[in-house]
Amino acid sequence: MSTLTAGPRPSGPSRRLTSGLTWTMLRLHRTALFVWGGGLLTVLTALVWIHEAGPGIRSAVGDCTAADPFPMRCGFTHESAAEQVHTYGLALVSGCVTYLIYAIAVWAGAALTGRELESGTAHLAWTQSVTPARWLAAKLAVPAVLLTAGTTLAVLLCGWTRRAGDGELAGGWFITNVFISSGPVAVAYALAGLALGALAGLVLRRALPAAAAALAAAYVLHEVLDRFRMSLWPAVTTTGRAALHVPYGSMLLEHGSVTADGERVNTSLACVGTDGSALEACIRRGPWTDFWSTYQPQSHYWPLQLVESGLLLAVAGLATAVAFALLRRRHG
Amino acid sequence: MSSTSTTRSTVAVEARGLTVRHGRRAAAALDDCSFRLPAGRVSALVGPNGAGKSTLLATLAGLLRPSAGTLTVLGAGPAETRERIAYLAQDKPLHPQLTIAETLRMGAELNPARWDAAYARAIIEQGKLAPGTKVRKLSGGQRTRVALALALGKRPDLMLLDEPMADLDPLARHELLGTLMADAAERGTTVLMSSHIVTELADACDHLLLLGDGRIRLGGGLDDLLLAHTVVTGRGTPAELAPHLVVESRAAGRGLTALIRNDGPVDERWQAEPPSLEELLLAHLRSPGTPALITPGTTAAPAAVTR
Repeated sequence: MSTLTAGPRPSGPSRRLTSGLTWTMLRLHRTALFVWGGGLLTVLTALVWIHEAGPGIRSAVGDCTAADPFPMRCGFTHESAAEQVHTYGLALVSGCVTYLIYAIAVWAGAALTGRELESGTAHLAWTQSVTPARWLAAKLAVPAVLLTAGTTLAVLLCGWTRRAGDGELAGGWFITNVFISSGPVAVAYALAGLALGALAGLVLRRALPAAAAALAAAYVLHEVLDRFRMSLWPAVTTTGRAALHVPYGSMLLEHGSVTADGERVNTSLACVGTDGSALEACIRRGPWTDFWSTYQPQSHYWPLQLVESGLLLAVAGLATAVAFALLRRRHG
Repeated sequence: MSSTSTTRSTVAVEARGLTVRHGRRAAAALDDCSFRLPAGRVSALVGPNGAGKSTLLATLAGLLRPSAGTLTVLGAGPAETRERIAYLAQDKPLHPQLTIAETLRMGAELNPARWDAAYARAIIEQGKLAPGTKVRKLSGGQRTRVALALALGKRPDLMLLDEPMADLDPLARHELLGTLMADAAERGTTVLMSSHIVTELADACDHLLLLGDGRIRLGGGLDDLLLAHTVVTGRGTPAELAPHLVVESRAAGRGLTALIRNDGPVDERWQAEPPSLEELLLAHLRSPGTPALITPGTTAAPAAVTR
């Protein structure tokens, strides 16, 4: 007992790399930190390996950069084990980056906020010298920094590897997984998943329902954006013969033909890919007088990336604002 | 005195018309609750299950936002005085994945201005707990000890303890209560703790708040409240005890035994005895309709005219 009645000796933590809330955050979610670090390391190693293997595979597969409207064709005849590893390796990595939002949302809903409110350990922090708002700020900021850094690194390396092949080995830029895993939109997805998950945990205050709700929210966000992705920037429409030869690497949204009666036949692929005398013959055979094409050219990649990133960051910001408002209303 | 302690006023908690609801449409857990807790007292918070004890403690700790009323804790709102308040929740939440040492480290990290590492460690050592043990491996009583070390390590000016000793063995209870009381006596800490164990309260507390239906029904210094009541035995009916207020009466042989709230001296034909704390509490718990008695020191100051 005598040791307990000694005068108080306030002793703050000594200076270290991390302290206070940041230390607490990193220690509490150490498992998640290790999983994130390990996963990231695996992905980065795989990308470097794929990059190194790329040139050999390209020479084995042959030159696919010719303005072939169906460039996928060139791969099939030269299929080899190495090429498959290359293609599916890149697909796997881009899939991992694309579906990262689900893992983040579930983790944030269950472990980051939901479980803490369910078990009352959040109250433990709030009755130390930490306000609920500071607690939530740390809960969001520490993973946000780590996710931004890690995802950025993965996306940069992903692009580097993709360019090392001739691109076509990995699919067009407009394919969902390629689009999401190749630009800033990947980071925005990760942050939106984090904010939505944290909000679900705060609203439901239980780990399992919060994980389910966060998963559902991430799914809706992912699907809605997937459906409307190509409408986020004005598409290009051409008519006449140019419509039969959209620029290489474009995402064709709509193609149609106009008959002699002036009727517009949508989704008609008549005469596509023909040229010269073959085209003349095709036009003579059919009732066509004109063609049109609506497409997103490759040059729209950046505007599309930036608009989608902006939308996602707006969702993340809104969810964060609601989370802080909810915390303030409930706990003062 | 520690360099971090600030000038104390004589009032630790002042609540006026405090109303707290769990959810917008739910019945109020605290309903127009008014009282004052003088500084430096060790106060017992008692009441039947569901009376609002945990709600009151969580509200004082700044965890719940009152829907009406004013609340001053250590001279400011509970959110501003967070640093100086310690709160021990009923289920003693701790992070199961941390070791005891890491839990205490967390206390140091989250209370940079006030943490007393040696004191917190001593509480752990007193229980013969190895610092490297994971919290998830601890028994209920051991968890309570770690939670108390975390609460006391910040050297609070006000301790809010929700059933602090419920799952401790008698020896550990005696030890920890001793630690708590020594600290309170030495530093003048105000303590408000809820408990069902009356003996624990009688030993440790000098102040009482009895909560029923979300309001204070009995509040004041323990001695004052005991002196204000008498246990009388004799022949007669409860009506014959006027002008005293009969809190509870029951037949005892051919006469009756009653706990009364004194109004002047008791007539000599009744045999009068001072009540024990247990008798006082049980009588009031069994008679929820008894008018409230709050001694002047525990009554909240009248609201300001400008409110």
